Amino acid sequence: MTKREVIHTVLDGRTPPYVPWSCGFTKEARAKLEGHFKLLDIEEALQNHILKLGSDIGIFTDLGDNHVQDVFGVVWDRSIDKDIGNVNGCVLPEPTLQHYSFPDPLDRRFFTEIPDRIARYGDRFRVFQIGFSLYERAWTLRGMQNLLMDFYDHPEFVQSLLESIADYNIAQIQEALKFEIDAIYFGDDWGQQSGLQMGPKLWHQFIYPVLKRMYSVVHAAGRYVFIHSCGDVDEVFDDLIGIGLNCFNPFQPEVMEVESLMKRYRGRLTFHGGLSTQRTLPFGTVEDVRKEMKRLLKMGARGGYIFAPAHDLEGDVPLENMLAFIELVQNQPGYREQ
Amino acid sequence: MNLLDDLRKNVIDGDLNATQGLVNEALVENIPPEEILMDGLIAAMTEVGRMFENGEFFIPEMLVSARAMKGGLAILRPQLAAANIKAIGKVVIGTVQGDLHDIGKNLVGMMLEGAGFEVIDLGVDVSPEKYVAAVNEYHPDLIGLSALLTTTMPRMKDIVLALQAASLQDSVKVMIGGAPVTQQYATEIGADMYAQDAASAAQRARQLMQA
Repeated sequence: MTKREVIHTVLDGRTPPYVPWSCGFTKEARAKLEGHFKLLDIEEALQNHILKLGSDIGIFTDLGDNHVQDVFGVVWDRSIDKDIGNVNGCVLPEPTLQHYSFPDPLDRRFFTEIPDRIARYGDRFRVFQIGFSLYERAWTLRGMQNLLMDFYDHPEFVQSLLESIADYNIAQIQEALKFEIDAIYFGDDWGQQSGLQMGPKLWHQFIYPVLKRMYSVVHAAGRYVFIHSCGDVDEVFDDLIGIGLNCFNPFQPEVMEVESLMKRYRGRLTFHGGLSTQRTLPFGTVEDVRKEMKRLLKMGARGGYIFAPAHDLEGDVPLENMLAFIELVQNQPGYREQ
Repeated sequence: MNLLDDLRKNVIDGDLNATQGLVNEALVENIPPEEILMDGLIAAMTEVGRMFENGEFFIPEMLVSARAMKGGLAILRPQLAAANIKAIGKVVIGTVQGDLHDIGKNLVGMMLEGAGFEVIDLGVDVSPEKYVAAVNEYHPDLIGLSALLTTTMPRMKDIVLALQAASLQDSVKVMIGGAPVTQQYATEIGADMYAQDAASAAQRARQLMQA
């Protein structure tokens, strides 16, 4: 079975030969692994099952002095967070789209690498990523506090902003669907450590209908829908499944009951993630990592699970903790026998 | 409905204009500024905190209520000063060095103001030295440290150590919070308090002042 087939097996609710995985690393964490494996590209060593195409966080123009600008015009300060950065300024200082033009969703930079990367990693499950896919795109343009208050102050503006973002995404999805990809991997953090940032009422009123429209385009083309949404958001799982979600990431054990959710949703929703990045990986011992890993692999043996740390690993995770989970996941008997 | 009931309702509903109108009206009616503050603005924000804790309110509701409260307070402030009414305490807040995330810290600041505190916000990426300097300058009752990341959380311990090195540990209490932060971590680094969200931060700060 190829890696791609193993992921299909898991998503279709069947029992895989082993628990597949796809783990992400920030630049700092990646540098530790590159040093260890003495490789420039650690993909060979990681053997991830998911091939990530398109762009997770966007395409950027370097403005110098640790600042970059995305295609939407948002300037990001990367002096501290080197991977994503923090928004500088406000592209939409007023609650109107009157003076704003969306970028070209068909910008070739999102697509040019796809054929070569599929040719190189053809055995992997291919996802086209749409990062900052709705709420996050809206707040990066408008400012988080502004947007959260706009839900009450300017609901028509919020609705029109979210619909415009969805139009942009759908145009990009339709182009991506022309390639041999398996899924669209949306990213949009809605959660906080406890509950949804905007609460369930506003999520249902504003976010849900737009998600429904975006997910339906993916399903109409017979592909899978993945979402990455940080924080405590399991209260909306049933709604998401209802509109066609197939796989949820990051499945953070600090904010949700990983094992009981697996039991509850097995056969209806696949989980990607699960290994603690707020506690075990940065602060635990190798033995703590192994113990948690073994529990996760056991939990996922029947399917419905793709292993990963619950976030791209940060630079504070000791190398030996990274190697501990990489070794355990790759030493699964079912994988070694492939 | 009496005027202060109406004021509380409008703060809770996040209606800035109505809140400011009602504060002005209350002053015209000669309601003492302290009563407008305590029974109007602060009582409303206490209710907002309770509704947040109960899962009836979320960040947007808290933000619009806090904005209304601040608008009302801006009108009331000169009257409070004239009547020599002081804040119930002083708090210095900030996001720790290496961390630029500010919404959690901002919410804590708003809820503390809503609880009657004077809040000095040092912003984001605040070094231990800046915290120490702020304690020396403002003499707060409490300092609040926020961190979103596991990579920046250890800076909280540096601040506790910096306060000890400056012999300030007995003159100010330290409260910490943020996504990866726990009570266990607060205990480990010798912070005085942990708050899991903005509403409980305000509640715990008030308890501190009553102790």
